[in-house]
Amino acid sequence: MAAQKGFFTDTTLCIGCKACEVACKQWNQLPDDGFLFTGMSYDNTVHLGASTWRHVAFVERPVPMKPGNDGAFSWLFSSDVCKHCARAGCLESCPTGAIIRTEYGSVYVQPDVCNGCGYCIVNCPFGVIDRREEDGRAWKCTLCYDRLRADMQPACAKSCPTESIQFGEIAELRERAEKRVEKLHEQGLNSAYLYGANAAQQPGTEGLNAFFLLVDKPEMYNLPPNPTVPTKPAKAAWGSMAVGVLGLALAAIGSALLGGRERAS
Amino acid sequence: MAVRYRDSVEPVVTDGRDIDRDIGELLGEGAQQRSRGAHDEHIAEMAERWQALPEASRIDPTYYDRPLLNESVWHWAIPTYYYVGGVTGASLALGAAVQLFADRDLRALVRQCRWIGFAGACISGVLLVADLGRPMRFLNMLRVFRPTSPMNVGAWILSKVGAASSLAAIFDFELAGLSAGLSGLGLATYTGVLVANTAVPVWQESRRVLPILFGSSAMASAGCLLEMVGDQRGFAVARTFRISGQIAEIALAFAMEKQVARIERVARPLRSGFSGFLWRASAVLAASSLLVTVLPIKKRAKKFAAGILGTLGSLALRFAVDKAGLASARDPRASFHLQRAQLNFTNMGA
Repeated sequence: MAAQKGFFTDTTLCIGCKACEVACKQWNQLPDDGFLFTGMSYDNTVHLGASTWRHVAFVERPVPMKPGNDGAFSWLFSSDVCKHCARAGCLESCPTGAIIRTEYGSVYVQPDVCNGCGYCIVNCPFGVIDRREEDGRAWKCTLCYDRLRADMQPACAKSCPTESIQFGEIAELRERAEKRVEKLHEQGLNSAYLYGANAAQQPGTEGLNAFFLLVDKPEMYNLPPNPTVPTKPAKAAWGSMAVGVLGLALAAIGSALLGGRERAS
Repeated sequence: MAVRYRDSVEPVVTDGRDIDRDIGELLGEGAQQRSRGAHDEHIAEMAERWQALPEASRIDPTYYDRPLLNESVWHWAIPTYYYVGGVTGASLALGAAVQLFADRDLRALVRQCRWIGFAGACISGVLLVADLGRPMRFLNMLRVFRPTSPMNVGAWILSKVGAASSLAAIFDFELAGLSAGLSGLGLATYTGVLVANTAVPVWQESRRVLPILFGSSAMASAGCLLEMVGDQRGFAVARTFRISGQIAEIALAFAMEKQVARIERVARPLRSGFSGFLWRASAVLAASSLLVTVLPIKKRAKKFAAGILGTLGSLALRFAVDKAGLASARDPRASFHLQRAQLNFTNMGA
């Protein structure tokens, strides 16, 4: 198996240029999904979807970046992407086996197998994967599987001018990310922290292969504070089904006996 | 293909990629994605929403109140299938129970249960295939066995129900009747797991009750149908089955709402909007069906009134759950509040 690869997105370095969005669309030859003017800061992409595999979020905060800084405003940027979770909701829920884990540890949807049942969409705790209406299949970031196979890095990371998007071996990225947090803390940006860098930080997904460095609550970036692969809590649902099966069987037998007797009397 | 810059001097015909096919070939990972072209209608809808300057709340933050999750793409066929699959499973289970535990002169009821099961399994299949984005690939559902996917498990259960009920209905195989009854128990309840095994807050929070609720709703709807069209000798059996199903349905719906409402925001779709209306309506309809049962009216009028009210109640329940999921996915605070509560709970434990 090849080394486990992923992204470390350092949002403190992002300048909101959207080169990653453009590079992704161009390399993967994705069609547009509407040109909108939303009024949400500089974000006219809105959300990840079937044809949008990178999305830069623009957060306007009425507080300074660091305590003591001048002004009461700071502007945060963050390039969002499929997290390629260690426990992926889409993969575990896929009934056809179309969604697989590749040799790089990434989660990949095989377009020739997907039958467009739509179950992965409601199973993604991050709202990443989606179905394109005209196409009928589910799509999401492939971690540029075709480029990895040709020993190239993903298009978004390649195009990022500030190295906010870093691609590499996950173990190495984690180390780099921790050093970066330490450095930021030294510089006085105490709010910096890692999001989903390992299983201890995010037990619900058991860690993300595309993790982030954030400086505010995850909700500000439209990231869930405690995402969990739906399969984990769903154990209770299987238990409930067992009770339901038993109850239904007893009710059927009871009706057969009681109803049968009532007719006889 | 759509035309972009329609009103300009040089309109462009595009599939949304803006790639000149004389220069570039479509070989990328997303190049196979079918596209009709630019989404013009989308633009008008969004522009209208741009009314006021957004301001991020520091206390209860969201990202411009945009949804966190992508909402379900299932259309009406799926909640209809929850109902049809329920009728199928519960009828087959009742048929098997009567076959085993009641007198020979209830044979007509057994046969009817099997035929309802067989027809229901066929309709279920059609509904499920119709909802696929690529219906021709429906057989891919059976290319793997994956216990982590309730949808995959359900596809296997439905296949087994289809096979067993056809043998039982057409050839009157006794063993097939029992086998269909057993797998029918699964068919009537697994849809609850299917719905609960998701990231949608209201669906996920209903996980402890929903499979049993769907099972009792299945009993109610199968009972209603058998009472209305079934053999008269089996009437008392069908009525007992329906009444016990409906009492459980009302009680469990109440229990589920209470469970979901531990986080106020998560329960909101059950209490307001169209989904909330359907949710209330389903309980009212089930209760009126029960009420009709004890009214001193003619037997014929009674069984049709109770049957129709009960059927509508079960349908309303399935659609309420479906619509509640859509509303819940659209509300980012439902996910955020739920997950914050989980984090606080863990921190207190540590």
